[in-house]
Amino acid sequence: MYQYDAIDQQLVEERVAQFRDQTRRYLNNELSEQEFLPLRLQNGLYVQRYAPMLRVAIPYGMLSSTQLRTLADIGRRYDKGYGHFSTRQNLQFNWPTLESVPDILAELAEVQMHAVQTSGNCIRNTTTDQYAGVISDEIVDPRPYCELIRQWSTFHPEFAFLPRKFKIAVNATESADRAATQVHDIGLHIKKNDAGEIGFKVIVGGGLGRTPMVGVTISEFVAREDLLTYLDAIIRVYNQNGRRDNKYKARIKILVKALGIEAFRKLVDAEWEHLRGKESTVPMSEFDRLQNFFTEPAYKTLDDQPTSVAEKLSNSPGFARWYERNTFAHKKAGYRIVTLTLKKNGQAPGDATSDQMDKAADLADKYSFGELRVSHEQNLVLADVQQDQLIELWEAAKESGFATPTLGLLTDMICCPGGDFCALANAKSIPIAKQIQDTFEDLDYLYDIGEVDLNISGCMNACGHHHVGNIGILGVDKKGEEFYQISMGGASGHDASIGKILGPSFAQDEIGSVMKRIIDLYVDQRTEEERFIDTFRRIGIKPFKEAAYAKAN
Amino acid sequence: MQKLIKDGAIVENQYSVIKEADLAVSENSIVPMQQWLDNSDSVAGLWIEAGEGIEALENKDLSQLQVIAVNFPAFADGRGFSYGRLVRERLGFKGEVRAIGNFIPDQLGYLLRCGFNSFDFEQEVNLEKALELHKPFSIAYQGDVADPRPIFLRRG
Repeated sequence: MYQYDAIDQQLVEERVAQFRDQTRRYLNNELSEQEFLPLRLQNGLYVQRYAPMLRVAIPYGMLSSTQLRTLADIGRRYDKGYGHFSTRQNLQFNWPTLESVPDILAELAEVQMHAVQTSGNCIRNTTTDQYAGVISDEIVDPRPYCELIRQWSTFHPEFAFLPRKFKIAVNATESADRAATQVHDIGLHIKKNDAGEIGFKVIVGGGLGRTPMVGVTISEFVAREDLLTYLDAIIRVYNQNGRRDNKYKARIKILVKALGIEAFRKLVDAEWEHLRGKESTVPMSEFDRLQNFFTEPAYKTLDDQPTSVAEKLSNSPGFARWYERNTFAHKKAGYRIVTLTLKKNGQAPGDATSDQMDKAADLADKYSFGELRVSHEQNLVLADVQQDQLIELWEAAKESGFATPTLGLLTDMICCPGGDFCALANAKSIPIAKQIQDTFEDLDYLYDIGEVDLNISGCMNACGHHHVGNIGILGVDKKGEEFYQISMGGASGHDASIGKILGPSFAQDEIGSVMKRIIDLYVDQRTEEERFIDTFRRIGIKPFKEAAYAKAN
Repeated sequence: MQKLIKDGAIVENQYSVIKEADLAVSENSIVPMQQWLDNSDSVAGLWIEAGEGIEALENKDLSQLQVIAVNFPAFADGRGFSYGRLVRERLGFKGEVRAIGNFIPDQLGYLLRCGFNSFDFEQEVNLEKALELHKPFSIAYQGDVADPRPIFLRRG
C-alpha cells in the first residue's frame, strides 16, 4: 500500500499542529462556535448527541495491521473500546472528548493516518472496490488512481468551502460496482480505449440524501493524464454555480439536474479548455511512482482448491457456508479473498471492538501480508489468503465473531449509527437491525432467501444508503415518535436504481413482521434463478405492498 | 478604519470599498464590478460579488486597476476562492487581489494560494494573531497561484 514520504508526513504533522491551535483557540473563546464548526468538520469532528464523533480517514479502505492496532488502541484509551466502520470505508469514534482530539490526531499521524476532510463541505475520502488489485477481471488496479485523487483533493485551496460535501468513488471492473459509484457526486469507471490507453468514464451528479439520484455520464473517456484537470474543471463549475441558499439543494446533483447534462457538460468543457494540458496534467513518471506502491506481494506458486479444503467443504456444512458466502475468488491460484464480517447478531452493523480490531490485525499479519481493507458494506477484508490456510483462518475468525456466514445476505445490512448516537437522526437504526437479525436468525432460511441488500438509515441524510437497498428502511419522526418508511427496488451496482417508497411508515415493533411478509412473498413468487431484486423487477411493487400492509389474520 | 494584512504585513487601508453603485467615487475607491464596467473612470479598483463570476472581465483592459477585490458574503461561501484564482490565472491580473467581507483568519492559507495578497476583514480581527495563521502549511500537493506545479512535478 501507499507509504508516506517526508512530504506526506510533514503535511499531516502540520495539520495536527494547525488543528491543535484551532482547538485551543476555540476552548479559549478566541474562535466562535460558528467559526470553529467548518474547521472541525474539515477534520472529521462532529458534535454528536452525547459526545463528539471523530471520523478517521481510511483512504480507499486500505489499512495496515499497524494502523488497525493504532485504531484499536485509540478506541480503548479515548473511546469506549470500539469503533464503527462506515459505508465510505472510514472509521468513526463515538466517544472521544473534544480536548483529546489533537492528541488522537498526533497518534494517527505517527502511523500515516489523519482525519482530513472526512466531513465538511469539501472533497471527502475517495472510495473504491474492496477487492481492488486481487480480482482477475479488473481492468487495472484502481488504487494508484485513488491515491492520486487523495493527494490532489487534500487541502485543495480552491475547494475547501464548496456548496456541499463532495464524494468521489472509483470502480475498475465491468462485472461489478462494489463502490456504488453511480450514487456519488463523481463516479469514475476505469476503462481502456480502443488504443489500449487507460482513462475514465466520468459519471456526475449521483447522490443520496433528500433527493436521491443516479448519476449521468458526462464523459465517456477522459485519458488518465487529464484526470486532475478534468476534476478541477467539474468542481470549479460546481463551486461557482452550485446552490448555496438551501443546503438540501446544494449538492452537485441538483445543479446537474437543473442545467441538464448537456449544458453542464458545456460549462465543464469550456473550463477544461483552459486547464487541459497545463501543469496538473499527470506525467507518466507519477503513475509509475504510484503504481510501485501497489505491486503484488510475494505470492507462492500454489494450486487451487487443496485437498484439505475440498474435504472440509464436503464434510463441514458450517465451513462450506462460510466459504461460499464470505470468501471470493482471487486472481492468483491457491489464494482466496476473505471477508471478516462485522454483522454478528447483537453487535451494531459495522461496529468492531478494540479487541476485535487487534484480532483482525493479528489475522492480517498471519494470513494476509499484514494488510486489510474496509468495505462499503462495513466489513473487513483479508485480500490475500492462502487457500490451504482457510480452515485455520475460519476457526480463528469464528472465535472473534468475524465468521457470521452471511455476506451479501439479508442480515449483512448496511446501517448508520442512527439515533443512538447521531444528533441528526430522526430515529434509531441499530434496534431495527437487531430486530431483523432476530427475525431472520435461521441460517438455512437466510440461505434460501439468497442475496438481498438491506440498507437502514436513521434519517434523510441517508448515511445507511437506504435508497439503494433492494429493501431500504428510513427512520422518520412522526410527532415525536419513531416510525420507519420502507422502500424497495433500489440497487447500487452497475444496475443502480433508486428504491420506491412502499407506503405509509410502520411502527418500530412492526418492522420484523413486515419484513417477514415481504420476504415470504418473494419466496412464494420467485423463479428458481431469481434473486430478490430480479423478482421485484419482474412483478413490481404492488404485490409487495399488499403483502406488507396485509393485516395479520 | 481597521488596518489590513497585505503581502504579509499589517498596513493602513488606502482604499475604500463603495458598497452601492452611484455613490461618489474617488481615485481611492473600489467600486462594484458593474459600475466599473459601465464607467471605467479613474478609480482604484473594482470588487466582485459572490455569484457574479469573472466572465464580464474577460477581454477587458484591467491594466489601469490597482486592485481587484472579491467579496465573501459569509466565510462558508467559497465562490471567492475560484474567483481569486481566475483573476490571477485567467485574467492575468498582476495588481493587488483583495479579500473583503466575512472570511476568517483560518482561511488565509487557502486564500493566499488562490492568489489573494491582501485581506480586509469586515469583522474585527486581531491582525497580529491572524498573521500567524497566514501560512499553516509549508508544502502543498496541488499547484496554485504561487506555484502552478503540483507535487508530482516537485517531489525529489
